[in-house]
Amino acid sequence: MSKVLVVDDDEALLRALRIGLTARGYEVSLARTGAEGVKQVSLVQPDVIVLDLGLPDMDGADVCRGVRRFSAVPILVLSAAANEERKVAALDLGADDYITKPFGMAELEARLRVALRRGGRAPDSSTELSVGDLDVDLVHHMASVAGHPLELTAKEFDLLAFLARHAGKVCTHHMILAGVWGPGYGSESQYLRVYAHRLRRKLGAHGAMLRTQPGVGYQLVADPA
Amino acid sequence: MASSLRRDLFGAGVALAAIAALSAVMVSDRRHVAVATAGLVLVLPVVAGVVLGGFLAGAVAVVAGFFAFDVLFIPPYDRLSVGRAANWVALVVYGIVMVIVARVVASLREAQTEAHRNDEVTRQLYRLSDALIARQGLAELLGVVAETIASTFGARWVTVLLPDGEALAQVASAGEAISEEERAALSPAAGRAESLSRSEGAELFTRVALSANGRPVGLVVLAGGALDAHNRDLLHTFANQAALAIERAQLQEQVLHGELLEEVDRWRRALMGAVSHDLRTPLASVKTAVSTLRRDDVELVAEDRGELLALIEEQSDRLARLVTNLLDMTRIEAGTLELRRETAAVADLVAEATLTLGASAGLSSLHTDLPGDLPLVDVDPLVMVQVLANLIDNALVHSPAGTRVEVTAATEGDHVRLAVRDHGPGVPEAEREGIFAMINRRSGAGRAGLGLTIAQTFTEAHGQHIELVSPPGGGASFEVTMALAPVPVEVG
Repeated sequence: MSKVLVVDDDEALLRALRIGLTARGYEVSLARTGAEGVKQVSLVQPDVIVLDLGLPDMDGADVCRGVRRFSAVPILVLSAAANEERKVAALDLGADDYITKPFGMAELEARLRVALRRGGRAPDSSTELSVGDLDVDLVHHMASVAGHPLELTAKEFDLLAFLARHAGKVCTHHMILAGVWGPGYGSESQYLRVYAHRLRRKLGAHGAMLRTQPGVGYQLVADPA
Repeated sequence: MASSLRRDLFGAGVALAAIAALSAVMVSDRRHVAVATAGLVLVLPVVAGVVLGGFLAGAVAVVAGFFAFDVLFIPPYDRLSVGRAANWVALVVYGIVMVIVARVVASLREAQTEAHRNDEVTRQLYRLSDALIARQGLAELLGVVAETIASTFGARWVTVLLPDGEALAQVASAGEAISEEERAALSPAAGRAESLSRSEGAELFTRVALSANGRPVGLVVLAGGALDAHNRDLLHTFANQAALAIERAQLQEQVLHGELLEEVDRWRRALMGAVSHDLRTPLASVKTAVSTLRRDDVELVAEDRGELLALIEEQSDRLARLVTNLLDMTRIEAGTLELRRETAAVADLVAEATLTLGASAGLSSLHTDLPGDLPLVDVDPLVMVQVLANLIDNALVHSPAGTRVEVTAATEGDHVRLAVRDHGPGVPEAEREGIFAMINRRSGAGRAGLGLTIAQTFTEAHGQHIELVSPPGGGASFEVTMALAPVPVEVG
C-alpha cells in the first residue's frame, strides 16, 4: 500500500482527498501547514507527496526545497492556473509534477502512478537508462526505441538523455537548458521547442512519451496513455 | 525715462544755484580773487551737477560756469570779451577741464548704475531659481513660474501655455483675469517655440518660448510690465531655467504615472489571483468528491459517501456565496449597485447570515449574544447579511476545534457596533494593517482574503467602518458599525 502525504490548508479538499485516495487503497496522512508537511515527511516516510502551493505559513516552493534537503520522495504540486510562476519555481526546486485545480480523481491517480514509478530515486546515474520502450546508452551515445536504433544528433541525444535521467519528472525549460546547453542558458526556450519537435518526430509512434507542459517544460513518461 | 529727466533738471538746478551763489560771494571782492582761483571754485558746481543730475546737467553747468567765469571774473568785467592772452588761456583750460570732469563723473555714475542693475538681475535670478528648485509637482511649478514672472516684471497678467495635442493650452496664469479677446489673441501656432517678440494689438504682449535641450516645452505670455533690454534678458534667462524645470517635472510625472500603472497592474493581477484561488478551491473539493463518487471500481462505505455528498453541498454553498459577493462588489465598485436601506433588526441580520452559511461546518460553535434592547439599524439588509456572513465564516475558519465564535453588539453614539470574535491564533501585528486588502490571505484558508475585502467594501458603501480589534486573551475580533435607524415620529 502506497503512502500519500497531502499538504493543503483547505479542510474540504483534505477531506475529499482523504476519502477518495483511501478508497483507492492509498494510506493517506494529512498536513495543514508547510512546516507540518516537512515534519510529516520524516515521520511517516510517504511514497509520494501531494502539495498545495498556497499554504498559509510558507510558499509551496520553499516546502519543496525543505523536503529536498533530506528526501527524494516524489512531489506532486497542486496549483491554481494563475500561479504559473510559482508552479515553475516549485518544479525548479524539486517538485516532480503538477496538477491544476480543479482536477478529477482519475487524473490525480494517473499522476500519482507516474510519480510512484519514478519512486524516491535520485536522478538515475547508471549508464544505461530505460524508460518504457526507450533505451538510452550513455556510454555509446546510442538510443533505441522498441529495439530500433534512433538516429540522433549530439544535442538531440543529450536532450533525450537528460529527460530519460529525470523520467517521470516535469523538467522546466530552465532546468533543461541549463542541464543540456550549459549554465549560460536558461531562457532560450525556442531552442527547446525545435529540438523537442525533432525528437518527437524521430520517436515516431512513441512520440507521445515526450509530453509538453505548456509554459512550463517537458516530461518523458514511460507509459503515455 | 521721466525720472532721469527729472534728475537732470534737479542736477542742473543745483549746479546753476551753486554757480550763482559762489559767483555772488566772489564777485563782491573780485579784484582780489585771482582768475585761476575763481576758475577752480567754479569747478565745484559742475561736479555737483554731474553727480546729482547726469551728463546733461553737467553740460548745462559747464556752459553756465563758462559764461559766469568769463563775464564776472575775467577782466574786462561784465562783458563777454576777454582781455589778456593769459585770461584766454584760463578760460579755455576751464572749459576743457569742465567737459572732461563732466564726462568722467558721468561715466563713473553710469558704471555704478550698471553694477547696481547687474546685482539686481543676479539677485532676481537667484530668487527665481530658488522658486524653481523648491517645487516638486508640475502644476505647482507652473503656478510658481507664472507668479514669479508676474511679480518680478510687474506684468498685468502672465500665462503659461503647454502643448496639448495639436495646440497650446493655458495651464497656469497669474495676475489679473485674462479677457476673452486677449485669450483669443494668444493662441499661437501649435508647439512652436517663438523668440521674444511683440505682437500687434491694443496692448503689447510679450511672448517667450520655453525650450529645454532644443525641444520646445511651452510658451509664456505676459501683458504690461516694464520690459527694457535688461528685463528682457532676465526674462530670457528665467524662461530657460523655467523650461528645464518644467521638463524635469514632466519627466518626473511620467515616471510616477508609469509606476502608478504598474501598481494598478500588480493589484489587478493580485485580485485575479485571489479570485482564481477562492473560486477554484471549493471547485477543487467538489470535483474531487464527485469524481470519487462516480467511480464504479471504488467501494465507498456509506459514511464516506455521506461525507462526500455533504462536502459537495457545503462547498457549492460556499461557491454560490462567493459568486454573489463578487458580483455585488463589482456592482458597488462600478457604481451600479444602489443600497436599498431599510430599518432592520440586528438579530434578524445575524440569523439570516447564519442561514446563508448553510451547511458550513462549525456553526454549532457560534454563540450569538445580543442585548434585547438593541436599537434598529439603517442598512441594506441583503448587503449587510453578506458582511456578517463573511465575518462569521472567517471566524469559524480560524477557530480551533472546540472553541467558540461569539457575536455581540452594543450601541455606541449614533451607531451599533457588532463584533465577531474568535479564539483562534489571532492576527500577527505585521498583518493587521493589510488584513482587508485584496491580496491578503489570513492564515488558515484562502477564502478569508476576499471575504474580508468584500466585507470592508460593503460596509464602507454604507458609510460605516469595519476594523480588526485584537482583544485581550487572544483571538481576533472583527467589528463593524451600523447606523441607527431614524426614530419614527409618533402619530396620534
